[in-house]
Amino acid sequence: MSSAEQETINGVVISFFSTASSVGKTLIGINMAAELARQGARVVLVDYDLQFGDVCNYLQLEPEQTLMDAQRSIQLTGSSFDVRECLTPYSCRNIMFAVLAAPRKLEEAYNIETSVAQKVIEHLQGLFDYVIVDTTSMFSELNLMLLDISTIVTYLGVVDFLPTIKNMKIGSDTLRTLGYDSEKIRLVLNRSNAKTRISSEDVQKLLKQEFYYVLPNDFQAASQSIIDGKPLVLEHQDIALSDAIRGLVGLYSNRSLGGVEEPARREHKSSLLGRLFG
Amino acid sequence: MGFRVLLVEPDRLMLEQLSMTISKTPGFELVARYQAASDALGQGTVFKPNIILLGADGQKAPELIRDFRRLYPDVSIICMGEQWRADSAAHLVQAGARGYIVKPFTSDELKNAVEAFAKSGMVVGGETYTFFSPKGKSGKTTLIANLAMELARRSRAKVGIIDADLQFGDMAVFFSLSPTSTIVEAARDAEFLSPVTLAPYFMPVTENVHVLCGTRAPNLIDRVSIASLERIIRIAQSLYQYLLIDVPPAFNPTSIAASELSTTTILVAMINGGYEIEHMREALEIFKDWPDYEDRVKAVFTRVTPCDRASQEEIGRALGFPVAGIIPNAYEEVSTAADSGMMAVDIEASSPFAQSVSKLVSKIMGRHSSGWRSV
Repeated sequence: MSSAEQETINGVVISFFSTASSVGKTLIGINMAAELARQGARVVLVDYDLQFGDVCNYLQLEPEQTLMDAQRSIQLTGSSFDVRECLTPYSCRNIMFAVLAAPRKLEEAYNIETSVAQKVIEHLQGLFDYVIVDTTSMFSELNLMLLDISTIVTYLGVVDFLPTIKNMKIGSDTLRTLGYDSEKIRLVLNRSNAKTRISSEDVQKLLKQEFYYVLPNDFQAASQSIIDGKPLVLEHQDIALSDAIRGLVGLYSNRSLGGVEEPARREHKSSLLGRLFG
Repeated sequence: MGFRVLLVEPDRLMLEQLSMTISKTPGFELVARYQAASDALGQGTVFKPNIILLGADGQKAPELIRDFRRLYPDVSIICMGEQWRADSAAHLVQAGARGYIVKPFTSDELKNAVEAFAKSGMVVGGETYTFFSPKGKSGKTTLIANLAMELARRSRAKVGIIDADLQFGDMAVFFSLSPTSTIVEAARDAEFLSPVTLAPYFMPVTENVHVLCGTRAPNLIDRVSIASLERIIRIAQSLYQYLLIDVPPAFNPTSIAASELSTTTILVAMINGGYEIEHMREALEIFKDWPDYEDRVKAVFTRVTPCDRASQEEIGRALGFPVAGIIPNAYEEVSTAADSGMMAVDIEASSPFAQSVSKLVSKIMGRHSSGWRSV
C-alpha cells in the first residue's frame, strides 16, 4: 500500500441545529444526504436526536444496529471497532446512503456518552465524504461537541411566533459567544412563506445577520414524503422545495446549481420584536 | 387596625433582635414578648394580639401550636425556625399554624409573611403538575399559561408557574414579563429560602397567578442545580394550591426531577403529521415504572383536528392509553393574544381553544373526585 493510499481523508461534517423543535432539521438533513448521494458522494446520515430521533421513522428503516451497538463495540474493542457494522443502508431509486440510527430504547439513549458520540463521527469522517448529523434543539454537551467538530452548522429556523424568534436570537447570540467562524454557522430560514405575523426582514435585523439561504414552505409535500418514507429530492424532483434543497447542497458542496432565493419580502411592519429586545 | 404581635422566642438574644425588627416595622405593634411558651399561654391573652410569632424549632412544636390554638382561636399563628423544611413546616401547618418564617427576619420579610399567610394560610396538600413533552414544539407552554389563568379564575386559588425549561423557557414572553429575578437567582439562594422569602422571586401576572421565570441565557443552566430546583419546587408547593412546572423536552435530569416531585405529570404532544403518538407511547413506557402511573400520568394532545371526542378516542386507541385532553389548533388566537400580552382564554372565552382549556381545568379541579375520568 502506498503512502498516498494510507493517508486518511476526513469527510465534511454538516450538522443541523436549531433552538426550536419541528423546524425541519430531520427533513432537510435527509434530503441533503439524498441529494449529495445522488451527486455521487459517499454519505452517512447520523441521528443524534438520541431519545426521539425520527430519521429511521421518516425513511421507514428498521435498523438492526444503532449507535448503542457502536458504543458497546467501542467499549469492548477500543479503537479497533468498525463503525460500518452499525450502519443501516438506505436506498431509493438506486441512490444509496448510510444511516447511523439513534438507539432503540430511551434508557440506551440516556446512557450514550459524548466522547463515544465524538469518536463515532471521527470514524465516519474517515469512511465518508459527507457526515450529515441531525440533533436536538438545545445546547447540550453532545450538541456543543458537534458544533465544535462540524465543518458546517446549518442553524435552521422558522419565523412563526414570538417565543421562537426569541429563542432563535438567544441561540444566535450564544453561537457568537462560543466564537465560531461566521462561515461555519449558516443561518437558514425554513418555511419562508408560511403563514406568520412576523416579517423575516425584521428577524434578520434582530439577529444582526442575513439568512444564508431561504427554503420555501411546502407542508403538504413534506408531510407526504414522511408518509412515503422517501426524500423529496429523489421522489419529487420538480417541486420548488426540492429545487431549493438542491441549491443549498450546491452551495455546501461548492457545486452551485444556482437558485439562491432572495429573503422573503417584508409583508407588514411589526413592532413585536422591539417589545422583546428593545 | 394594625397587627398586634405576641412574640414567643426562647433565645434571649434572638428575642431582642426580633423585638427590634417588629417594633420598627410600620403597621406592626409588639404587644407582648416571652421566652417561655407557658408564660405566653398564661398571660398573653390580656394584650389581645392578632398575630402570634412562635419559635417552633423543637419536637414539641405541633403540641404547642395546638395549645395556642385553644387559647387564641382567632389569632393567626406564624411559626419561626432556623431553616425551612417542607416536611416539618407541613406538620406545623397541620397542627394549626398559618405559616412559617425563617428567623431572624427583616421588616419586609415580616410584612410579606403576614400578607401571605394571615389571609389564606400556607398551602398544604396542594397539587403540582409537571408538563413533559417528548420533543419540543408541543404547545405545552401555551397550554400551561392558559391553564394557569383559567385555573386561577375558576378556583380562586393561587397558581404558581415554574419555568424550568432552563435553556429556552418562554413563560416571560408569554406573559410579557420583564422579570427582576428568575429561577437562576432563586436557585442561587435556594438553601436559605422559605416560602416567604421565595415568594418575591415569582413575578405576579395577576393577583393569583405568579411566575418564576426561566433563565435569561442558555449557559445559565449550569447555575440551576437539580438539588436547588427540587428545593424551589418543595418550597413553592407551600405557596401555591396549584403549581405548574414547564420543563425541557425529553428525559433529562430537570424533567425527571420535576416529574418525580409532582402529583401529576401531564405528557403533551402536538399532532403535526409526524410520529408524535409513537414518541408519546415510548415516553409512557418509562413512566410505567411508577406503580401508580395510570393515575399519576395524563396524556394531552394539542393541535388536534377535528378536535372532537372521536379524534380523542382514536388517538387513545393508537396510543394504548386514555387521552385526558385534546386542544384544537389555535395559532391565530394564541399568537394574537400573545402579541398583546394576554392569554387566549381571556380574549376568546367561547372559542374551541378556551373551551378545551376549560375542560382540562375542570378535570384538574375535580382531581380528587375522579374528575379526569368523569368530565
